[in-house]
Amino acid sequence: MISLASYLVISMILFVVGLMVMIARKNIVAILLGIELVLNAAALNFVAYSKFVTNNLDGHIFALFIIVVAAAEAAVGLAIVIRFFQLKETIHIDEATQLRN
Amino acid sequence: MEYSIGNIAPIFLCPFFAFVINAFFGKKLPRQGDWLAVLAIFISFIFSLRIFLDFAGSTFATDYYIHKVFNWFDLSAGGQTFKVDMGIYIDNMGAIMLLMVTGVATLIHLFSTWYMHDDPRYGRFFVYVSLFTSAMLGLVLSDNLLSVFIFWELMGFCSYSLIGFYYEKEKAGDASLKAFMTTRVGDVFFLLGIVAIWQLVGSVNFVDIYAAIAEGKFVGQQVLGISLATFAGFCVFMGTIGKSAQFPLQVWLPDAMMGPTPCSALIHAATMVAAGVYLSLRTYPLMVAGELTQFIALIGAITAFGAATIALVQTDLKAVLAFSTISQLGYMVMGVGVGSYNAAFMHLITHAVFKACLFLSAGSIIHSVHEQEMPKLGGLRKKLPYTFIAMMCCTLAIAGVPFFAGFVSKDRILGDALFWGVFAGQSKIWAIVPILGFAGAFLTAFYMFRMMFLTFFGKPRDHHIYDHCHEEHISFNSNVPLLILTVFTLGFWYCGTLTGQSFGKVFGSKTEWFKILVEAPRVERFVGRTREPFSAVDTRVKAELPKAVYEHQTGYVGPAAGDEHGIHKAHLIGAIASIFIAFGGIFLAFLMYIKGSVKPLADTFSGWTTALKNRYYFDDFYVGVVIQKGMIPFNRFLAWFDMGVYDRFAIDGWAKVNRVAFRASRWFDDVVVDAIGVDGTGVAVNLFNLVLRIVQSGKIQFYFVVLILTLASYIWTINL
Repeated sequence: MISLASYLVISMILFVVGLMVMIARKNIVAILLGIELVLNAAALNFVAYSKFVTNNLDGHIFALFIIVVAAAEAAVGLAIVIRFFQLKETIHIDEATQLRN
Repeated sequence: MEYSIGNIAPIFLCPFFAFVINAFFGKKLPRQGDWLAVLAIFISFIFSLRIFLDFAGSTFATDYYIHKVFNWFDLSAGGQTFKVDMGIYIDNMGAIMLLMVTGVATLIHLFSTWYMHDDPRYGRFFVYVSLFTSAMLGLVLSDNLLSVFIFWELMGFCSYSLIGFYYEKEKAGDASLKAFMTTRVGDVFFLLGIVAIWQLVGSVNFVDIYAAIAEGKFVGQQVLGISLATFAGFCVFMGTIGKSAQFPLQVWLPDAMMGPTPCSALIHAATMVAAGVYLSLRTYPLMVAGELTQFIALIGAITAFGAATIALVQTDLKAVLAFSTISQLGYMVMGVGVGSYNAAFMHLITHAVFKACLFLSAGSIIHSVHEQEMPKLGGLRKKLPYTFIAMMCCTLAIAGVPFFAGFVSKDRILGDALFWGVFAGQSKIWAIVPILGFAGAFLTAFYMFRMMFLTFFGKPRDHHIYDHCHEEHISFNSNVPLLILTVFTLGFWYCGTLTGQSFGKVFGSKTEWFKILVEAPRVERFVGRTREPFSAVDTRVKAELPKAVYEHQTGYVGPAAGDEHGIHKAHLIGAIASIFIAFGGIFLAFLMYIKGSVKPLADTFSGWTTALKNRYYFDDFYVGVVIQKGMIPFNRFLAWFDMGVYDRFAIDGWAKVNRVAFRASRWFDDVVVDAIGVDGTGVAVNLFNLVLRIVQSGKIQFYFVVLILTLASYIWTINL
């Protein structure tokens, strides 16, 4: 039997890895990947608590929502990255310092 | 008849619209719009005639009146009432007055189309005349002193522009200014009187004033140490003195003949001077309450006699008529003073008719011979027969020959004056009033016939002028107006009898309509009367009101209704004296100017004649003393005060104070506001920005770190 703690440890590892990717990497696509990892860590937490603590389907539904939002966010984020690449010929995050032009 | 605003307002509005249209589009209209002016006043006449026939035709009781009010503006707030109403007020007197003004003005308009036809400013004349007439009609319709004052001033303006109509002539310009300024003296007092009445009564409506007098609101009220009623009455009467050219302010009227003759006819008969007497009749209860009647009678008597003496020596045709107007106005005012309300108003009407006719006749003569100096005229009877007939009838009327209107009205005034001055038990000193009155009547007969004899009789003194005169033909706008007016110089129109006394009745005994319709306002009737809104249609049915009884009244409604015996005695003596005096004056004129058996006055009393020719030096007095010695030094003093004291200390001094204040203000502005306030704020913002610039780097991963650290520290804080 896999305990709640195992899930939480996995989730924490995912979260920290994602966070470190977001902070440390300079590639925007990599940062988007890191965001995905953080979101999935959160979703894993919801499902785990739903199974072991409340014992109903609320957490599962939340996880589904998170997946949908993550998909939409990834689509928008990638679109922005493409436009940014067209403008700056690069996807280095330090070039993205201005909100306009 | 039902009265609504629709059948009263056109009386005023028709001439007014004619004025507006002619003023702006007159030059584009055919004949410069004269037909519009004539038509408008004729429509007014029709409406007035309708009202008059209704009032006089025994439909309504004698105390019936139309009073319609609308709210002009309302500033009431916080429990305080301040409402100003305007309205229409027609009583019997107003109805008669409307008929007289519109009737005479219609004929004058008609005459003007002939008299003025070759004038370069033909259209403009009708513009002014329309406004003049509409202002007079507005005054007659007014129900309160304020709108009376407005129309009063409007007439002042119109007379100013009409007297100065030939402004190329310097004398005309001076005369118009003189007329305007002299009447203005009276107007200022009039306005003061209105203010005095307003502050006591809270309204300047005639009905409210009458009610206030009846309720005794004026009793015991003092202003400047004299009774308020006396003060207000005096001030209002000063308006009459100015407008109706009474004793101290009579100087403007003789000069007013500088205007075109039809406008003189209008000023002397229907509009301008009639307004003054009309006002004093309207405010008669105030005069009585103010105990001013003796003063008024004295002013009237002095004017009546003084102006008659000046008329004796005038050589200008129109000047004689001008002074006779002043004199006759004096009789009216005297009539007001002695309580002969009815006869004073009757004289106003009869005088308007025959004086309009006299002036139009004079206009006819002047237009035919282009000369108005009587010593150059003479023998015009054959050349101008219709004018002669008209002028003769009017002269007989003004001279007070029996059967003519002037006799009836003047004789009644004189009879009342005689009773008032001699029989009424007053101090004997007031006998001066009837004495001056009768003496003036004698002189009137004399100077009017002097004028007639010099103009129409004898041999022509200047053959060039005489031969130049065209034969007169009947024409609807030259002499028909005169002849129409002539018909109404007969006495029986006004009193129903030939003589004005109880014998010689023409239409039987039921025709003393004037005496029955016109009486002094009995103020107690006006207490608590309700007034109608402006839009209301008069719904009172004929049958509900008691009808006026048209029977010859033996009861007397003059100064003292009780003493009938004394009244009859006074009137009998007065009538006999009047007849003798009139014929005496005519006979003396005949001896002097036709037979030549008595030497003219000028040779006998040469010193006095000089005084008369200079009009008792009144003009010299006003110019030489009042203006030169009084007004001009006073104005110099005012100018000195203005420039030397007020400008120097108040204006310049205040400027200096302001400069100091502004310097202090500038220092404050520079140091406190600019340096500390404005620049200080900038420095503070700069400092803050130094910090903010580091944080706001634009590096998104730095933001992430800050975000995570903040979140972490938050959670850590909670868990503590």
